[in-house]
Order: sequence, then structure tokens, then C-alpha cells
Amino acid sequence: MTARQMRTRYLTIVAQDPGLKLNGKILTERVAVPAECLDRGPLGNRVHVVDYDASTQTLYSPADLEASGAYEDAYLKPSSITILGDPGFHAQNVYAIAMRTLARFESALGRRVGWGFDSHQLKIAPHAFADPNAFYSRADQGLMFGYFPGHSGMVFSCLSHDVVAHETTHALLDGLRVGYMDPSSADQAAFHEAFADLVALLSVFSLKSVVKRVLSRDSGSNLVPASAISKAALKQSVLLGLAEEMGDELGAYRSSQDALRRSVELNPSRGLLNQSEFSEAHRRGEVLVAAVMNAFISVLSHRISQLGTVTGNMLDLNRVAEEAADVADYLLTMVIRAIDYTPPMHINFNDYLSALLTADYEIRPDDSRFHFRNIIRETFTAYGIDPIPTKSAEPGIWDHLESDVTYRGVHFSSMQHDPEEVFRFIWENRQSLNLFEQAGTRITSVRPCSRLSPEGFQLKETVAECVQTLSISVGELKRFKIDVDFPLSAHDEVTLQGGSTLIFDDYGKLKYAIGTRLHNWEKQSERLRLMVDAGCFDRETTALGRISALHTERFMDTHSHRREGWK
Amino acid sequence: MSSPQPTRVNIRTYQVGFGDCFVLSFFYDDRPRMRTRRILIDFGTTGLAKSGPRSLRIVAESIAQHCEGRLDAIIVTHRHMDHISGFRGRSGEIIASLKPKLVLQPWTEDPRAAVDASRPTRRLKRRQSFTTMLDDMHDVAAASLKELGTQSKRFSKDVRQQLGFLGQDNIKNRAAVEWLMKLPCKHRYLAYGYGSGLERLVPGLNVHVLGPPTVDQTDEILTQRSRDADEFWHFQAMASKRVVRHSIRLFPKASVRRNMPPEARWFIPRLDSIRGEQLLQIVRNLDNAMNNTSLIMLFETGNQKLLFPGDAQLENWSYALKEAPESNRNLKLLGDVTVYKVGHHGSLNATPKTLWGKFQRRNQETTEDRLVTLLSTASGKHGNTDRGTEVPRNKLVIALKKDSEFHSTEDISHGQSYEDIEVEVDHA
Repeated sequence: MTARQMRTRYLTIVAQDPGLKLNGKILTERVAVPAECLDRGPLGNRVHVVDYDASTQTLYSPADLEASGAYEDAYLKPSSITILGDPGFHAQNVYAIAMRTLARFESALGRRVGWGFDSHQLKIAPHAFADPNAFYSRADQGLMFGYFPGHSGMVFSCLSHDVVAHETTHALLDGLRVGYMDPSSADQAAFHEAFADLVALLSVFSLKSVVKRVLSRDSGSNLVPASAISKAALKQSVLLGLAEEMGDELGAYRSSQDALRRSVELNPSRGLLNQSEFSEAHRRGEVLVAAVMNAFISVLSHRISQLGTVTGNMLDLNRVAEEAADVADYLLTMVIRAIDYTPPMHINFNDYLSALLTADYEIRPDDSRFHFRNIIRETFTAYGIDPIPTKSAEPGIWDHLESDVTYRGVHFSSMQHDPEEVFRFIWENRQSLNLFEQAGTRITSVRPCSRLSPEGFQLKETVAECVQTLSISVGELKRFKIDVDFPLSAHDEVTLQGGSTLIFDDYGKLKYAIGTRLHNWEKQSERLRLMVDAGCFDRETTALGRISALHTERFMDTHSHRREGWK
Repeated sequence: MSSPQPTRVNIRTYQVGFGDCFVLSFFYDDRPRMRTRRILIDFGTTGLAKSGPRSLRIVAESIAQHCEGRLDAIIVTHRHMDHISGFRGRSGEIIASLKPKLVLQPWTEDPRAAVDASRPTRRLKRRQSFTTMLDDMHDVAAASLKELGTQSKRFSKDVRQQLGFLGQDNIKNRAAVEWLMKLPCKHRYLAYGYGSGLERLVPGLNVHVLGPPTVDQTDEILTQRSRDADEFWHFQAMASKRVVRHSIRLFPKASVRRNMPPEARWFIPRLDSIRGEQLLQIVRNLDNAMNNTSLIMLFETGNQKLLFPGDAQLENWSYALKEAPESNRNLKLLGDVTVYKVGHHGSLNATPKTLWGKFQRRNQETTEDRLVTLLSTASGKHGNTDRGTEVPRNKLVIALKKDSEFHSTEDISHGQSYEDIEVEVDHA
């Protein structure tokens, strides 16, 4: 096969972060990324690495990843000195992790996935500034990674797999659900963070050789004691902590001192989300992460218990690592695919649970192999997250659309890609679909997908987003019985939104309409009240700084007390 | 004979532009042989008003004259430049010549907490870590100013202005800090609920210290994130120092490009602009944290309650108003305030709405017992009107004007250096 025909290439990355060492060496891994003809930067079809340091105004020469030959790995078996001291390796690291994360989304969703801004190429600055922070900015179409001197040398956030995967996921989720960056409820802000954490965590776990080496501590043995993979031991695993090195340097958020966030250890309680501590976005997001990751551990433990021992209390390391990678991979697909079954805006954790269950149910109605859906329902319920009540045979699955819709005048093939055609369909059915006719209505996306089930079956669906927007003055809100104490004048405008995600089956029939009605005034009031409390109408709050500020607020606890100010 | 009680209190507000400087004078008219007691509260500026005194030396001379050569106590609410810059140089010498007997500062200024490592008590350790954090913050401010100085063209005018102002106010005013430390008199470092010691110097005065809370006091109410704040500033400081020292690059041996390649020309200026916004965000957080070390003092004598909260912001107030075991008593006490020195020059976050709502003497009518409010400020220096962060905050000023007898240094006539407010004390 010639280089040009290659579908994938392998590039070396830091497996988790430079803090994770085995036998004194930073753990690295070669990962598969889609092969493409790269320019210097690297500059590819979806990612452009620009190594500019704004703190020192230094523009490093763009890295040439093809220096060793087309599609070769320029950093095969890098030394610690290279890993920490070569900006070219840092460029490769961010490029490969971002592309791998993108590829993982595309394979789970069965289609190409765009970013949340008007460009095909995500810009990445691996050494953007001297600051213990990293963030995604839609307005700047990029990911910025900071660096800072730690206790034992420079800490580069661009070398942390978790941090890079986390920020890339923000950019991807923004492309899939642009409304999720808007201020809404505590759950919505938390969801962006939790989802990004979940993708980061499960991506590491799905690297079989990394799991194997961490479990064996690189001892060379092919056996692992059962005690090392008990539920409790798995919870303690370094693979389940996010951003080990940054966590070490920045101080732990909770009692465990070794990881930036170790959500999986959060004890389940149904009242957790009502506690004031869990009103802050990251902290709240941890509850969702805890629910998913505990489901992961339960399934994995069950699967490992079925393996049987090889000798004494020892298990086959290869089989254990395979199971871990399989379960993580399956769950990661489920977590990503669920996005297609979520409402276009105003998501809450309950919606996401129903989306998870429905996404899995559609592709694999029989849950008897992993019992994933049952376990997920159990762990979510333990953390106080119940599925949306529905009439479907299996609890929590979204209801199939039962209302009478007409397909008069619409064309099947156009309905799979043309927003105008889908709009014609929804307008014809505006009453059945419960749309608010006075609002502006738009089809913001139409995405045909072809998903593959574990059994090899193809599920073809078309996912469209229908968004309704109503801009009215604060004074007019009373007309709709919305009575909220705004820090705005009566003439200022507020925007109310509602809408649905429409899922069409492979015959073009509408299966699901998942969303929130714009004219549910009670819900709109509740949401607006929460937004006022969270300072969303304060003039200094801008979408531009929101994620960056969130990451800083995590340390500073500056989100509180807003009601007391003179906004 | 009953113990002496002040019969009236004079509050002199000096025109220092963007800063604070007040002198409280307690008169004992029914005791002709008793001298007037005087307390100076803060003495600093980040920029004098064009219409007022031309230097802090002139203000110091005026204070000396007003105090008839004798000052009983100095209260330094916190270490921001606009509250302490007068305590050094010639103006400092004049104040020192008034031989104050007592200097009151927040507990965060206690030099023992900063240097005494021989007492490894938990409390002292926690305090040390806090004072180290303050030092880190000063370093971050200094570094931000330096970065602004060397690379200012990259930042927008608005960012440059705010960064310059906040950076300047937050750098360590070493000369003033050391001057205060060395002033030969008794020093007390106060926290919520501590005794001030002023009662012995000013007969008939009862002082309530309502802030700042200590780390121990807030320990129970703080989340883990807040406890990580000192670590955060430590890493910020280290990162900032690196930038300052770094004419050297992160990777000195790596090749760099002098010219911007066309494909990166859109992104690089945006990164520069992000850096400016980010520095501003850091310095704003830092400014708030420093303001929250402010002393909150309530002076009570007879029917008068004078509230001087320095620059305390919501987080500092939160302990006295909500979390302290005596919060109900505090709210009751504050309900009866007669004179309120508006917190933090009238910023949006320094007059908690809960507090404002509790002031019973707020009144739209011009009655005798109407709440008196004093604002020392200068518009256009701090914050941004478009963002609703201007100081003084317009909405607050409207409320102050409507519901109180409002006095602002911005209304002091041209050429005047102060305004006097006098209140009668009724001990019935």
C-alpha cells in the first residue's frame, strides 16, 4: 500500500500526562489518527496548530510532522527531554489527540462532525500563555493551552491527554449543540464540563495497551491479581483521575490529593444536586461524571468476574485490558451518540439520561449482554437523576411520536440534507409538533447518519434541529405571565428559546421529537430566574470569556453572591 | 459622676480623588477639660482630584491642623494604594508627628503571621499561607503591569486603562506598609469579633469589628475551591514572574519565526487580545480578594452608629451578615446605622443589597434622623459603564441620592480640600 492510500497513521502521544510514569519513564502511546497530507504547523483539514506564546510574544516555527517521511511518526519512542522540551512534540501531541477525539465522534455518530464556528479548521495554541488555564473559545475558533512553572518543572497543559481531549470535546459539542454554550440552567453549564470530562476519561481507558501497562505497572507479567481490579481498586486507578499532573500541582479539589478531579469517588446521594456546593458548574458536572463512571465500573467488574482466574487469585492481564477497553469503548460510543437524542437547548441531566438510554436502545434493543441500560438507570437514580417519565416499554426511553403528522409535498431524499425541505415539513405540521407560531422558527441543522451496531447492523437516521426564538422586551414578559426581577430596564430585550431535535428513520418517518416548547411559560420563568441568579444578564458576562472564566472561578469561588450586587 | 460620653461627632471627608481619607472627631462638650479624641481612617489615593489639594502633604498638613497636633488612633482598612499611599514620605512624617497611640489593621497585615515560622500552630500556618498569598498577589500585579508596559500595543485601550489602574492599586506599597509597621505605637490586628482597643482611647465609644473574618472563622463555610485559592495565586505568581523574567523564551533552543505567516495572521492578534482580557480577569480577581481583607468597623456612641467598611465586598460582608453565629444580632445592629461610608468608592459589589435593605433610616423625606451616606470617589477611573461595572456604580448612586442625605467628594467645591459632617449624640 502506498503512503497516499493509507487510511490511518500512528502518532506518539503522552498517554495521560507527564506525571504518569512507569519505571521512571513518561508513559506514551501510539494512537491511530486519520491519515492526511499535512502542512507544517501541523496544518491539516480539521486542525491547525499555531505555536504562538502571547506572554512572551514568541512564534515558534511550525512543526513538520512529515520530516521523517510521509505518514511516519516523527517522535517514535521520545525521551523525557524530547517530551518536555521539544515544541514540535507538543504540536504533534495536541494535533493527534484532537484528531483522535474528532475521529471518535465521527465514528460514534456515523457522519462527519463540524466545529461550532464558521471554519473547518480548529486552531490550537499549545503554549498560548503563562497561566494555569486551558480553554476553548468559539469566537477565536481555537483551543488555548497555558503553561506554568510547577514545583518540579514546567507544567504544560498541552501535554495532558485529559486536558486536550476535554477542550477538544468542548469544541465538538459546541458544533453539535450550539445552544449548550448559552446561559440556561445550572445543569446546562455543568453538562458541557461533565461531557468533556467523560470523553476525556473514557478515551484513555479505551487505550488497551495503556490500561495493561498501568495495571501491571510495566512489570512484564501477564497476570494481574484480582484485588488490583476490584471495584474499589478501579475507583482509585490513575486512569480515572483527570489531569494527574495539573491536579498535583494545583492542589486537589477534594480529599484525594492526586487528581484534578476524581468524580468517580463522589458518594451517591439523591439530594446531592440540591446542595449549594453543587450549584457551581464543575462541581455539579462531577455528579453526572460520577453516575456514568460508576456505571462503567459496575459493568467492568461484572465482566471481569466472569473471566475466571488463571492460577490462584490471578487473572489474565490481556483479557482484563481487553474487557476494560471494550467496555470503555462501548460506553464512550453511547455517551457521544446520546447527543443526537438530546434537545437542541436547555438540556438537563434527566434529558441526557433519557438520551443515553434511547441512543442505546435504538442500536441494540436487547440489553442482556452488558446490562448497561439497567446499570445506568440504577447509578443515575442513586445520584438523584431520574429519567424523563415516558410511556415506552422500557423506562426512560423517549416516547415515539404518536401525533398525526403529514408528509404531503415533502421529498424523502431532500429531507435527509435540506433544511428548507425539513422546514416545509415542520411548518405543515406546526400544530402537531406544538410549535409557537408567533416565534421565529429555523432548522439549524440536518444531519444524515449511518450508525453501526455491535452486531454489525446499520441504523440509518436523519437528525434535524428545529429552533424557535422569541425576542421580546422585559416589559412585554408580563403578557406571558413571566414575572422575573431582571437587572434590566423594561425596554431591554430578552430572548426566549425553545425547540426540538427531530429524528427521522431510514424511511424518512419522524420517530422522535425531543425538546422543550417555547411557550411553556412556567418553565421559561423558572429558567429566567435561574439565569438572573447566575448573573447571566450582567453586562460584563460575555460568551467569549465564559469557559475561560469558569475555569478560573473553580479556584476562586467567585460565582457566588451575585444577587447582592448593584447590577 | 458618670463616665464621659461624646456629645457630638465630626466626620471630615478629605478630597483625595480616588481614595479614602476620613477623620472622626469625638467631642465632649459637657466636659470642658476633656480634649477631643481623633481617629484617622485611611489615607491614600491613586490619583488626586484636579479640584482638590495638589499633594498628600497638603492633606497631611490639614489633618495635623484639624487634629490640633494630636491623633489618638489610625485605622488602615487594607493595603490598597488608594488607602495607604499617604503613610510614607513627607505626608507620613507629618502623620507620625501627631503621635498616634494605636494603629488598627486587618489580621492579614500581622507581621508575625508572615515571618514567624517558629510557632507551627495550625492557625499560624494557615495565616502564613494567607499572607504569602497576598505577597503572591502583589507579584502578579507587578508582573501584569510590567507585561502591560512592554507589550501594551497589543491590548485594547479599555484593557490597557483598567489593567494599569488595577495593577497600580494592587502592587505592594512597600514603603507605606513598612512605615505603618514601624510606627512607634501599639498595633492591633483585627478580625471579625475582635476587640479594637479604641474604647480605652475614646471614652463612651463602643466599636464592633464586623470583618474581615479569619481563615479559621470562614473555614467551616468555605468550599474546597476557595481553600485552593492560595495555591492558585501561588501558581499565578510563579507564572507571572516567568513572563517578567522571560525575555528568554520557553524553548530557548527552538527556532522561531520573526514574521507572521499568512495562515496565522487572523489568529495571532486574537491570542494577544485574549492575553489582555485574561490579565485583566486575573487582576480583577486579585483586586477583589485584596478588598476582602478590609476592616469593617461600626462605631457606636449613644444613638449614633457610624459604619466604615473600607473596600469590603460581598464575600467579606457575607460572614457578618449570613454565616457568623451572631448574624441576626449583626443585622439588628446594622439596621440602626446613622452614617454609612459607602464601601469601595461606590462599586457595584461593596454595598450588599441585604445590608442596604436593612438600613431603617433610609428615607425619601428630609427628616432629622435620615441616613447620612458619605462617598469618596472619582468617576471615570475604575470599571466600565458599558459593562455596568463603573465606579461609582450609577444605580447605587441613584439609590443613595434618593434614600439618604448623600455626600460625595465629587460635590466638594473647587479649591476646597474637605467636607465636614457633624452629628449630635443623644445618650438618653
